[in-house]
Amino acid sequence: MAHILKNYDEELSALKDSVVEMGTMSLTAVEKAIKGLADGNRDLCYDVIDEDEKIDQREKDVDEQGMSILMRFNPVASDLRNVLSSINICRSLERIGDHAVNIAKRARKVLKAGDLDEVRLIDPLYLEARKIVSAALTAYSDVDEEMALAVIKMDHKIDELHKALGKSLSHKIAEGNGNTESLLNVIFISRSIERIGDLAVNIAEDIVFMTSAEDIRHQ
Amino acid sequence: MNDSSVTLDSADAPVVAANEPIISIDDLSFSYDLGKTNTLRNISLDIPAGKVTAFIGPSGCGKSTLLRCLNRMNDLVDTAKVTTGKINILGQDINAPDVEAIELRKHIGMVFQKYNPFPKSIYENVAYGLRVQGINNKSVLDQAVEESLQKSALWSEVKDRLNTSALGLSGGQQQRLCIARTIAVKPQIVLMDEPCSALDPIATARIEELIAELQQDFTIVIVTHNMQQATRVSDRTAFFYLGELIEYDETTNIFGNPKIKQTEDYVSGRFG
Repeated sequence: MAHILKNYDEELSALKDSVVEMGTMSLTAVEKAIKGLADGNRDLCYDVIDEDEKIDQREKDVDEQGMSILMRFNPVASDLRNVLSSINICRSLERIGDHAVNIAKRARKVLKAGDLDEVRLIDPLYLEARKIVSAALTAYSDVDEEMALAVIKMDHKIDELHKALGKSLSHKIAEGNGNTESLLNVIFISRSIERIGDLAVNIAEDIVFMTSAEDIRHQ
Repeated sequence: MNDSSVTLDSADAPVVAANEPIISIDDLSFSYDLGKTNTLRNISLDIPAGKVTAFIGPSGCGKSTLLRCLNRMNDLVDTAKVTTGKINILGQDINAPDVEAIELRKHIGMVFQKYNPFPKSIYENVAYGLRVQGINNKSVLDQAVEESLQKSALWSEVKDRLNTSALGLSGGQQQRLCIARTIAVKPQIVLMDEPCSALDPIATARIEELIAELQQDFTIVIVTHNMQQATRVSDRTAFFYLGELIEYDETTNIFGNPKIKQTEDYVSGRFG
């Protein structure tokens, strides 16, 4: 059922559009950073670093939209949870953007140091992270609690892949095979991707709170 | 009042512990036309002592009618009739033949939407209920007037002009005076029917603050159209629609996570 005040519905809808758009921007930044690393394209890495400002600005815009709704319409019940969750989600998306910048900066260093075969080991981890962030954004857009709960389960695979990759690269470093600095940078990239998975879980938890009023954080 | 009547005197009234129901409404149906149509239908709810309970709902939902049932104000309507169920207050069926409405109202005060001080002095407005009870001792009255005005947060503003007309006070002050008049006779329950709807935001804030203070001494039932007010002042909220109780719960649940869709639609402004 629509609200009596038409512009209340319009502003809630605009808030949602902004968050979804911000999600796309953050996910694109991660994709670009990884592509830059995989293709040896440092320009893509520089783009990610430069474009982070846009994600930061979008975070401020979402905050402003949320605050305006709180101030003007005094939302309650599911509307209130919607606004609070949207603001929280945009916080997670901004941090995903920051991790994309971290990946881009590390990738730049790896590329500068020359070819590194181990770069391709990032792929399976990245593909899982991409899947989980996309699923979290779809769950938000479709208000799909079931999908949000599935996102939380998906994170285990990312954790396992990250752990395995870290172990493998640590061995290489210990054995003195390859460029230690570059291998360390790949470990840091893996760490950023793992954190992106955690942030997707945070988004999913916010969606569950939005849909069912249940706070499942820290369980 | 005859000898067999129930007095509901404070001394005789059972003590109700905080959170225990002081008002218990059981399957109440009420009609304004001798039972042809029920304005309230099968209402059951318990109102805890020492808490603020808010009644909300769109116009015509029956919330004010129910409030007026609690002190039998509807007795003034010739064709009004409780068609089923009962209301127990302090364990006593208030519609039992041996309970007199006037006696009942000593224990259940009421504050109305439009402040209605008597065209008398500030002092006499507050002392009025006590004088009706036959109390004329000046020192007793002085003490009761000061205490009631203190409790209604008006004392500091009027202590130097107690003998001037109450009609010279501002709207917000007049409403607080009406609250002082209500609590002067030490009721156990205070009913408030949209007490702030005729007041500006500052006067409203003072009344809301006062409700929080009064909660320590009285059980308060408030009807309000202002849902933000309900969230601010009440512990529990009952939502009514078309004469029925739709949902009754902790206020944080009603406005945070209502169980019934009709409640959600109403509190979030989807119908009204």
